[in-house]
Amino acid sequence: MSTSSQLLSRRGFGRLAAGAAAAVGAGALGACSRGGGKPLADTPLRIMAINHVWSQAVRPRLKEFEERVGRRVSMTLLTADQLASSYNVKLNASATDVDVMMVRALQEQPVFAHNGWLTDLTDRVHGDAEFDWQDFQKAPRGASETKGRVLSVPVVTERPALYYRKDLADPPGTLDELMDASVRLTDPGKGFFGYVGRGQRSGAVSQWSSYLYSYGGDFVVNGRSGIGSRAATAAYEYYGRLLHEAGPPGATNMSLEQAMPIFAQGKAAFYIDADAIYSSFLDPGISSVGKAVGFAPFPAGPAGPRPHNIPSWSLGINTFSRLRDEAWEFIRWAAGPDMAAELQSAGIPCARQSVWSDPKTLASFPPDLAEAMRINAERGIGHDRPQVLQVGRARDIVGRPLVAGILGKPVKPVIRDADAEFADFLVRDNRHKES
Amino acid sequence: MTASHAITAPGGRTRRRRGLGRLRGVAIAVVTLIFVLPVVWMFAAAFKTNVQVTDPRVGLWFSPTLENFRNIVEAGHILRSMGNSLLVGVVSTVLSAVIAVPAAWAVGRFRMHRTGSLILVARIVPAISLLVPWYYLFAQIGLVGSYTVLILSQMFVSVPLIMWIMISFFAGLPVELEEAGRTDGLSAFGAFWRITLPLAAPGTATASLLAFVFSWNNFMFALVFADDRTQTVPVALFNFISYASTDWGGLMAAATLITVPVVVAAVVGQKYLVAGLTSGASKG
Repeated sequence: MSTSSQLLSRRGFGRLAAGAAAAVGAGALGACSRGGGKPLADTPLRIMAINHVWSQAVRPRLKEFEERVGRRVSMTLLTADQLASSYNVKLNASATDVDVMMVRALQEQPVFAHNGWLTDLTDRVHGDAEFDWQDFQKAPRGASETKGRVLSVPVVTERPALYYRKDLADPPGTLDELMDASVRLTDPGKGFFGYVGRGQRSGAVSQWSSYLYSYGGDFVVNGRSGIGSRAATAAYEYYGRLLHEAGPPGATNMSLEQAMPIFAQGKAAFYIDADAIYSSFLDPGISSVGKAVGFAPFPAGPAGPRPHNIPSWSLGINTFSRLRDEAWEFIRWAAGPDMAAELQSAGIPCARQSVWSDPKTLASFPPDLAEAMRINAERGIGHDRPQVLQVGRARDIVGRPLVAGILGKPVKPVIRDADAEFADFLVRDNRHKES
Repeated sequence: MTASHAITAPGGRTRRRRGLGRLRGVAIAVVTLIFVLPVVWMFAAAFKTNVQVTDPRVGLWFSPTLENFRNIVEAGHILRSMGNSLLVGVVSTVLSAVIAVPAAWAVGRFRMHRTGSLILVARIVPAISLLVPWYYLFAQIGLVGSYTVLILSQMFVSVPLIMWIMISFFAGLPVELEEAGRTDGLSAFGAFWRITLPLAAPGTATASLLAFVFSWNNFMFALVFADDRTQTVPVALFNFISYASTDWGGLMAAATLITVPVVVAAVVGQKYLVAGLTSGASKG
């Protein structure tokens, strides 16, 4: 005899389950009535930002802005990868609960612009004399535009700085001098290396860009791949040799997070990376090199010293936001001249030329760093990675010869392959852009 | 020759057995070391300064500092996130158990294999593929950023998990016990409530504990659905990783702090856990 027939029939259980599902569905539909429509007075202005010294400095000041607009502000800080993942999920679903978005103008902006996720700010920035759009440095300003439309406002800029040990060497003025000094100071037996830098396939590309420009090359030349050029080949070979002969073991696994502690632990003589991380070497809680660290501009290559000067992080407005006016008010406040001067005085490099021209705002930086930043900003080129739609994929292709060079393998065959692949990629990427 | 072989053979077997025993001991020690070493490193790093954490010369002998824990408590966000994780974990686990345990009983008792397979699909579908539609749905309802959405999304993981553990558990319990209850005048639900459910306590505890641990560690749902006030622990941990630096000491101290409740729950529930995991393995 079947047990089921005795206790509760299958059909009976099915009815019970259907009833429960209907109850849950009705509850959900009931809840639906709370969504949609105009934002309420207590709806917060939601800001999604990178966990960066800039955001950490702005967060305590939000009270002032809340009083100004009469609306609560909610600020969520995430790492760069998490931020990108969250944007992809939320904006694919036309999210209205993100108002101000912190984006990388050179990384996410092209594809976000293609998807129509960023509000066009052109009229707002040009029509606001007090905001003074022309005060932003030329290179970061240019990088904030996509197809002639201003889609973001730069708040933090970045250039490569040469960090070096004052007790061991003078700052090299050229890349050749850097190579000689690095090789000379390397002593693997004692665990000391002449140079440390990013060697990760994709992560190294942005720092390598300054070497590429200083050798006279670029990622894309006249719409075609530039990584197979003579200048790019020389830059690849140089960087590979530098880390192969003077770098620490495992350099191909190193991005900023791995390379920086090696210099901070006093195990390398030279390190070139973003100037925004300088405080990591001065804080005795993190660094053991402290006062021995010197700062210098990017050394000159055969084409001169040509570092990048990029807007590392910018503010944009979500197209689907229902608080676009308030979001713009936030950008005016957070990227305005007063806030820029205040933050730069606290050691956070901003994007406004007037702030860089004011010696008071540079007082918080070590004098040699301030000078290096100023020089690099003047010489700077406004991009540090290929300016394409699928930046991540492009970086993977461009970074392949770097890894081969660092591992001491022949670079030229890898460059040939990467060049052909990048050329194909550019064709496909252009098709995407036009679609 | 045969006689001597007969005499030496037991001794040889003993030696071989001892040798195998030693080998097994070494293998267990190696495996334990591999699993325990990262945890030991985490605990040690929680008491180091950031300079010591990144210096390979500093091993396990150093002057410990409580600075990292002090910073965490002062900053407060980790403690708040732990409260959020606890709330989401407990509520989602209790609700899931309330739904999944009777459902598992029904599937197990009435041999609803197709329904069981359908529920398994929920475990197979990668949760990330559901994020966009879910986000759209919850945003329309106005639930994003609330505890409700975190609990509901977590239940998507917990309900099938508890069901699948409990189906085999109920299938292993003798049906005659319920039949006896029915003979004595109990309703179908009464027999389940008064007879089967108490017998299933170890299985329910096991399944609930696992569901709670899954919820405690869930990162993806919290990343997308939570806001700054409802952020749970796995996401809050990333506050120690900023663009230009990582606060390793703070990160390890926070990781230590959030590991403790799960370890305590596992130790307390270990008795049930072992009983629950083995009970469903064979039919009596």
